[in-house]
Amino acid sequence: MRKSVLVFLLTAVSMLLLVACAQQQQTEAPQVVEKTVVVTQVVEQEKVVTQVVEVTPVAGRCAPTSFDELGDNAIKIGVPIPLSAPGSVTGGRAMQTAVNIAVKEVNDAGGVLGKYPVDVVFYDTSGLPERGTAGMEYLITSECVVAVVGEYHSAAGLTEKEVANKYHVPVIFAETWNDDITASQYPEVFRIAPASSMVAQADAKYLSDVGVSFVAIVAENTDYGVPASEQTKERLAALGIDSETYLAEQGTQEFGALIAKIQEDMKDKEGLKAVLVLITGETSYNFEQQAAEQGLMPREDVVGIANQVAYNADEFWQNVPDGNYYAFRRVGVVPALTKDNPVATAFVEAYEKELGRFPESYAFEAYDAFMLMVKAIEKANSLDPDAIIAALESFDSPENGVQLAQGLYYFPYGTKNPVPDDQPAWMWHQWPDPAVLFLQYWQEGQSAEEACVVWPKQYQTCGDTYWIPPGTEPPVTP
Amino acid sequence: MLTPTVWDASLFHASPQLAVSGEFVLRLIIDGLMIGIIYALMAIGLTLIFSVLNIVSFAHGEFYMLGGYIVYFFLQTFEALPPLLSIVAAAIVTFAVGFLFERIFLQPMARGEVERPNEYAILVTFGLAFFLQFLMLGLVGPFPKKAHRLFDLPQIEGTFFRTTKATLFLGDITISAGRLFAALIALLALAGLLWFMYRTWTGRALQAVSQDRNAAAVVGINPLNMNTLAFSMGAMLAGLAGAVLVTVYSWVPWVGVPASSKSFVIIVLGGMGSIPGSLLGGLIIGVVESLGTGLFPDPARAQAYRDVFGLVIFALVLLLRPTGLFGRKL
Repeated sequence: MRKSVLVFLLTAVSMLLLVACAQQQQTEAPQVVEKTVVVTQVVEQEKVVTQVVEVTPVAGRCAPTSFDELGDNAIKIGVPIPLSAPGSVTGGRAMQTAVNIAVKEVNDAGGVLGKYPVDVVFYDTSGLPERGTAGMEYLITSECVVAVVGEYHSAAGLTEKEVANKYHVPVIFAETWNDDITASQYPEVFRIAPASSMVAQADAKYLSDVGVSFVAIVAENTDYGVPASEQTKERLAALGIDSETYLAEQGTQEFGALIAKIQEDMKDKEGLKAVLVLITGETSYNFEQQAAEQGLMPREDVVGIANQVAYNADEFWQNVPDGNYYAFRRVGVVPALTKDNPVATAFVEAYEKELGRFPESYAFEAYDAFMLMVKAIEKANSLDPDAIIAALESFDSPENGVQLAQGLYYFPYGTKNPVPDDQPAWMWHQWPDPAVLFLQYWQEGQSAEEACVVWPKQYQTCGDTYWIPPGTEPPVTP
Repeated sequence: MLTPTVWDASLFHASPQLAVSGEFVLRLIIDGLMIGIIYALMAIGLTLIFSVLNIVSFAHGEFYMLGGYIVYFFLQTFEALPPLLSIVAAAIVTFAVGFLFERIFLQPMARGEVERPNEYAILVTFGLAFFLQFLMLGLVGPFPKKAHRLFDLPQIEGTFFRTTKATLFLGDITISAGRLFAALIALLALAGLLWFMYRTWTGRALQAVSQDRNAAAVVGINPLNMNTLAFSMGAMLAGLAGAVLVTVYSWVPWVGVPASSKSFVIIVLGGMGSIPGSLLGGLIIGVVESLGTGLFPDPARAQAYRDVFGLVIFALVLLLRPTGLFGRKL
């Protein structure tokens, strides 16, 4: 009986344990719940699509856009310049010589990127707008130039930029001053010459420092002369200086009556007066010599400011033999400012070998414009116009700029950094640092290097004087 | 470095000068007469060719250019010789070039050996113009040259009358020495020409041929020789005009183009073929251009309109007298 009770109890305990375990397992059974789970999954998918892109064709432009397309041919760069009247032949020939020096230098070094030779195609624009258009059309559609550099006259440059824009060809203007060259803000158009407004400001400051009370502005009736005279007049007025403008056609020979008129207008003006010549090229010689012969200037009471071609001393003295004591503007460097620049030294040496004189500002600019375009092509590593333009725009600060003969080139404003509202529109693709100096002859027949730098103050070479009156010598002989 | 400022253009404004001094007007007239005499000298050459050969020489401006270059190079080369000899040299060379050209290219036309003489004359003189222009461009280049004035003035100090080496002052009137000498030489040349034309047998023969070639031949004048003489003299007169003006203006190979255009205006104004007409026409154009430039109220436009003043007078004269001032009725 006891054995049966014991078995019963053991069985019961076992059953209870089993039931207890069974109950415990029953309470831990999974529950059905609703839960939101965020899953991040990276899926790599490759898909082939066909895209239809609308492109405006540039009809007529025949330049290669890559080095593959170029093949064994040379890279052609177009250079429109004046080589006949009524343009400034003096200016055109100087620029032609400078560009030829640049071409030789590039090719002697193996060409662009050391392997692609460059070829230059000159076109004589005569400084005329219609020839500017025709020249650019010819260079781009017949000669297949990759880029264009050059031009001396604004009248031609203004039409050339339109053609450059039409065919989307990059161009660096070397010596065209009209503000509108860059003010239209075409992506293709760059300029290393000063804008007219910059020069007008320098002219007005110089005349103010000299202490003149009246200025007769004698300007050529062109796209350079008219706006330049307007800007100078405006800035003179801001400095409290009275002025009058006299326009003459480019190529005029006879100025007798105009000189009489200026003398008559000046008769009643008190104090020191000035005549500022804004006529370019050879025409300026005619005016300056006739003005000197007829006793208008330079005189003790009349400052005579000749056109910048006066820097070409041999030609100036031959054509203006009575031009002693003329002052003249020099845009760009003078010999003293080139000595520490190996690019300038080499260019000056080559130029002097060719023409026997220190390069004029437009010669420096032509050389630099060509070399800058070559640098841009090298940086772009392509002949594609967009790539070249992007490369030029990448020279956007002194740190990113290119040091050439005349200075450190950069373009602070462009596609990536538009011209701000407080800056003039012509600052687009404009080199902002061209130097403007005033020099003055004080001995008949002297060279431009012997002339005194009279302005600005920091560059003066003949003592503290802005104007050497006729019949006197400078305080310090350079 | 320059600090660019915002550009804000302003328009020109005229500053009319209502009060004009008599001295100023006198100066403008003197200036106009001096340049007018030289215009006349050149135009008379053109009218002489037209009246005798009955052709218009389109190379007239190039003889003017040639005369200037001869003086320039003569003065450069023969510094020790009297400078006036350069003018004589220019006259001789341009006469000789004109003589050769007429004998070789124009005589066949006068002898009736050319089928279409009128067209031939135009083409052959145009050809000569281009030849001379590009020849000089090749020889001397495009850069401007200028001969020094033939003489410097002695320096005289006075209150009313004074001089510097380059300028003569008469009170407020100033006259450039180069321009004065140029005008005086042109005046002498004109006087010599008029004496030759009206006081010598050859001069009268030239006039006779210009009036009636057949009648002149009947009285023993050789019209072919007169053709040669007229063309050579015409070329020489243009050369003389250039020879005196190279001391006033800078000289380039294309300098003859505007001068030639002015001569055409003058000979039509004076009457085609009339020597007195060309003389008067030259003086009128010179004075009108000078007065117009000096007195035009807008100084900005005065010089730019210089040629227009002469052309207005030209148009008015043609309106009232279609044959010009001294022209013969056709």
